[in-house]
Amino acid sequence: MNIQDNYLKNRKNIFFSLNKDIQIHREKLINIFENDSFDRKNNESLKNINLKNFINFKYKYLISEETSVINNTQENNYSIVSVNGQCSSFKDDKIEITKISDEDYNDFSENNTIEKNDHFVNLNSLFLNSGFKIIIKKNNNIKIKISNIVTDDDLTIFQKNNIICEEGSSLNLIEEYENKNNATSNILNVIKLEKNSQLNHFLIQDNSPNHNLIITSHSSCKKNSTYNQKVYNFSEGYVRNFHYSELIETNSETDLQGIFFLKDDNKSNNKTFVKHLAEDCKSNQVYKGILNDYSKATYFSNTHVDQVAQKTEGYQLSKGILLSDNASYFSKPELKIYADDVKCSHGSTIGPIDENSIFYLRSRGMSKIAATKILISSFINEELSSIDNEQMYEIIQKKLVRYLSKVK
Amino acid sequence: MFLEIKDLSVKIENKNILKSLNLSINKGEVHAIMGPNGSGKSTLANVLAGKEDYEILNGEINFKDNDLFDLNIEERAQEGMFLAFQYPVEIPGVNITPFLHSAINSKRKRMNEEEIDNLSFAKLLKSKASDLDINIDMLKRSVNTGFSGGEKKRYEILQMSILNPDLAILDETDSGLDIDALKIVTDGVNKLKSKDNSFLIITHYQKLLDYIKPDYVHVMVDGSIVKSGGSEIASEIEKDGFQKFQ
Repeated sequence: MNIQDNYLKNRKNIFFSLNKDIQIHREKLINIFENDSFDRKNNESLKNINLKNFINFKYKYLISEETSVINNTQENNYSIVSVNGQCSSFKDDKIEITKISDEDYNDFSENNTIEKNDHFVNLNSLFLNSGFKIIIKKNNNIKIKISNIVTDDDLTIFQKNNIICEEGSSLNLIEEYENKNNATSNILNVIKLEKNSQLNHFLIQDNSPNHNLIITSHSSCKKNSTYNQKVYNFSEGYVRNFHYSELIETNSETDLQGIFFLKDDNKSNNKTFVKHLAEDCKSNQVYKGILNDYSKATYFSNTHVDQVAQKTEGYQLSKGILLSDNASYFSKPELKIYADDVKCSHGSTIGPIDENSIFYLRSRGMSKIAATKILISSFINEELSSIDNEQMYEIIQKKLVRYLSKVK
Repeated sequence: MFLEIKDLSVKIENKNILKSLNLSINKGEVHAIMGPNGSGKSTLANVLAGKEDYEILNGEINFKDNDLFDLNIEERAQEGMFLAFQYPVEIPGVNITPFLHSAINSKRKRMNEEEIDNLSFAKLLKSKASDLDINIDMLKRSVNTGFSGGEKKRYEILQMSILNPDLAILDETDSGLDIDALKIVTDGVNKLKSKDNSFLIITHYQKLLDYIKPDYVHVMVDGSIVKSGGSEIASEIEKDGFQKFQ
């Protein structure tokens, strides 16, 4: 079924389909799909994937009978179970959770950071059927854990979440995606950090082979605010992690890190894009990948320094280990600098495990497989040892052990 | 015979390195191999340790009644062979202490000995490190990472003393060491020396052999041993160089 028919047929299940402005916007998006020749060479969002599978999909969405749960477990600690992209409303003096509104839809109509030809973002806007908005109120220090549950097979979830950290607030957000259903989750997170706020955002992804997870996020940082993102992708299904970050006021910072663990014929596309739009801002983009069997991954990193963004510090690093001759990892770092007083760097190294290190460890009595595993662990040691949340460290370690158990 | 190398010929990337090399080492003996650059000394060390880059063209090696070619790299180590590397590899993120603990237990397992527990291992490591004047803080670091040349060599000897091998091959352990570090390292080797183990010491210079007295000295030139004898050969080399053997 083509996009237009699919949209028209399912319109009643799609958010804001009665809003005239949104209708007009969606018509434009439908036109993009109908007129785009899907230039795979120049469109980073299309590497390694068969877009047709995502465009000619069967729309299915249901509001589950299981309702979402919000628990205020300890003081300043919240635990949320989001079901099929939905979350109940909640309000206390520290946080507020509501369903997203028509106004939230328009966040991106004026935004030029996310590419207009990112078809997954456009699909999200067209078929939006779920999502919520979280506001962390001024000067509060909050921890939230969100378990994202998909209840049924064949669901197509198009979810948009807005997260707002008000002035002086601090949020530690852990999001878990662990689904066994054959489904597609296409999620767009829009994150706003007000003055002096901080968000540490952890995403743990561990879906089964037939669950596609497409996450696009956009953060904007005002004065003295910090957005840190750490993605751990252990999924056996397709995962796309694209993150766009804008440092819009002075002394703001962003640190975008990711590690992916691929095997079989799994694929993952990753992208980080940081736009420096003000003076004295810092950014860091580090992605590491471990690829076995026939797996494939891409990582595009981009630092854009506007001419007003003097005293910028922007660093990029990409590293990959190929455990098989058939695995491939394409990495493309880019710097676009229009200011003259900046410190920026980028680097990328991809290759098999160092044979000399394997020989050294084996010469001390370790088996080849044990040496390989110890070197994989050491490859990501810096990132793992920087996890200061004990519970999360244990979760990641367990998943790492499971991945390593399949390395032969 | 503890180690017996017969008629060994080895090549790498179409270049013959070892040519019909013969060498025998008995239990309790210290042998030194001296030779000019490119004579094949390190290749011999690597072939003994099992490095897989080389093609064995001919010959046999017998170690403790095993055909060495039947054993892979780790099995050789577990059987009691130890190579102190000329250029120890830096492995960031692999902590020294658990790595060595796991290494010693893999050897004990093969020998059907009881594994050493954390506490006993920590005590052993601390005492051996102190013998080699190694700071305890160094043991909290990653393998060879950020170590100076001297620290790397000392750490090789620490590993050797922990693993207590039957045959230790020291590949130019003296290179890059100042006189104080050389004393510490050679003291470590001498402490370990016994009637039950053997050493094969590869070096360019006589200096190392002033501290570790070899029973036999062999001169290696162009992939073969061209002369064998006592420590007087080392003095001869020190005086006249390798020219006369070539």
